[in-house]
Amino acid sequence: MDEFGGQFVSFAKLVMLALVPYVLASQGTMLSGRTGIFNVAQEGIMLVGASAGFLGAYYSGSLVVGILVAMVVGGLFGLALAYFTTTLKMDQFVIGLALFFVGLGLSTLLFKIAIGVTLQPPLIPTLDAVPVPGLSKIPVLGDILFNQNWLVYLTVLLSALLYYVMYQTSFGLALRAVGENPKAADSLGVNVTLMRYGAAIVGGMLMGVAGAYLPMVYTGTFTEGIVRGRGWLSIALAFFGGWSPHLIFLGSLFFAGVEVLALRVQVGGGVSIPYQFLLMLPYVATILVMMPALKWVRPPAFLGRNYDREKRTSV
Amino acid sequence: MVNENAGRILGLDYRKIANQTIPYVAAVGAAFLAAGIFIALMGFDALKAYNTILFTSFKTTNGMVQTLLKFVPLVLQALAFTVPFAAGKFNIGGEGQLIVGAIGATGAGIIFSDLPAVLLLPLVILSGALFGAIWAAIPAWLLYRFNMNEILTTVLMNFISFSLIDYVATKVWRDPAAGHPTTIPIGQGGQLPLLISSPPLHAGLLIAIFVAVVIYIYTDKTSAGYELIATGANPKASRVYGINVPRIFILSLVLGGVLAGLSGAIEVSGSHHRLIEGLQSNYLLLGLIIGLIAKGNNLAVPFVALFIAILEVGASAMQRTMMIPGEMVFIVEALILVFVLLSDVVRRR
Repeated sequence: MDEFGGQFVSFAKLVMLALVPYVLASQGTMLSGRTGIFNVAQEGIMLVGASAGFLGAYYSGSLVVGILVAMVVGGLFGLALAYFTTTLKMDQFVIGLALFFVGLGLSTLLFKIAIGVTLQPPLIPTLDAVPVPGLSKIPVLGDILFNQNWLVYLTVLLSALLYYVMYQTSFGLALRAVGENPKAADSLGVNVTLMRYGAAIVGGMLMGVAGAYLPMVYTGTFTEGIVRGRGWLSIALAFFGGWSPHLIFLGSLFFAGVEVLALRVQVGGGVSIPYQFLLMLPYVATILVMMPALKWVRPPAFLGRNYDREKRTSV
Repeated sequence: MVNENAGRILGLDYRKIANQTIPYVAAVGAAFLAAGIFIALMGFDALKAYNTILFTSFKTTNGMVQTLLKFVPLVLQALAFTVPFAAGKFNIGGEGQLIVGAIGATGAGIIFSDLPAVLLLPLVILSGALFGAIWAAIPAWLLYRFNMNEILTTVLMNFISFSLIDYVATKVWRDPAAGHPTTIPIGQGGQLPLLISSPPLHAGLLIAIFVAVVIYIYTDKTSAGYELIATGANPKASRVYGINVPRIFILSLVLGGVLAGLSGAIEVSGSHHRLIEGLQSNYLLLGLIIGLIAKGNNLAVPFVALFIAILEVGASAMQRTMMIPGEMVFIVEALILVFVLLSDVVRRR
């Protein structure tokens, strides 16, 4: 393979690796948003997922345990969000911000209590690549797509599954109806409350795993700046992807691509742009691509609002 | 959706005041109780921790000055949130607006460093406010033109500002003697005068109090402020009554940027006399918590801000003397917020 080809393969592999947290967090955002719950606590949930996931893996010696711990913690945050908004009918953004604060504070506190301040950060092993037998031998594509860690595969499969469930099953239709017109869904016998709880909890779980992925792939330990805005970007992705699983997946590819590109140029050198402007790139690019995108995508009609079946117009 | 009981309680209705205060006291109590149990479980002396958190500010002059210095950016950050919040918009970009405001103030203070104080000081402060306004105008424009969610865009602008301050402090006006990214100092005339010289307390405190009073009068006592609150309470009805709702959204967000930019200018002109990377501390998060605990009531904001400043000064003392992580206090603050919000639900039933 020529040198350019080799460069391309290693770039594409890194993009697939960077894709996972974006996809998980934004599919989680999409899922609860589709039932009308607008989660804005992603950054906090991912941080607490990263911290709890790291600690779970560190003390059990198993990355799978760490991921499960992060999943449970994220699910609890989703449950809290659902309870405060759906049962107590509190303002979604206010409660979302409050949960973001709790997650943010808890992530560092847990780590400091468990580990304390050390000179050498404690490390966990990173996720190994698991080549898929046979498929990984395909030239070029095999190395990019089928020689990755298992969460990469899971992320792709999850997106496909979400697409199937949302658009090919009656359950998916009911779920989407809850976020569009809960009154109508309710009158057709859809359990609006249950849908919203379920979607918020599963969404929180995905965000927790998205957080836990970061120490397991990039740093091997927890740091306060580990999430670096990926949680907020996943809200952008949900809008950008029109609250649809397949478009969100494609959007995530773009986001991951920008992230890897910015890092590459920075490390590779040879470019006269100050590195600070490369670091801005993902955020600037997000705003730029959303400008045209928002013209043709539409968020769920009931996004960010709470449903009260006893009111004529539910606010 | 937000302002159902934005209290207009400047008056003598003590029963109403009590009704508003009791939930706060209960929320603070509940949050401290929860945190105390946690601290005790960790094997620390919870009562000693409380004592440190609550009373460090009052034990020494230094403690008091530290508290007042913290109060200044906190009250401005909180107002940067509550003003758009009154109109139903969420400004989560106070951090970026502070940073860019600080960059603007520093730039003015360095470029025109030879000007006398009578010119340079207002220039530095106003330049900070202007740059904060510009940084907030971008999300405001994106909201107006593309209907882009302002929570998202204001946050993204924060991340962009982190790189911007790094660039300014390492490439544009770098102080080669400093290890940490820092600029050279601004001109002498751009520094805020001191109210007390030792420990130093700068006049930013007066600016913050003045601004807080003006904002309270604006939002709660003027018809322009009423348009703001009406828009937040019911944009549809406001439109019917002839209020230019998109204009109010933009205005409120840009005004938030002015306030946050001002906090950045004061940090430069009063505290550091230069731009230092990281000078924004965690003021944004605390400002949001203050604004939300006050439920957007601009009369309550300064008092809540003072309370949070006391807790923060206590938190660093606790971390120093008892080795309890300072994040514990952040959790307490978040819990106070959650309990205050819950008290609304309880009262509604």
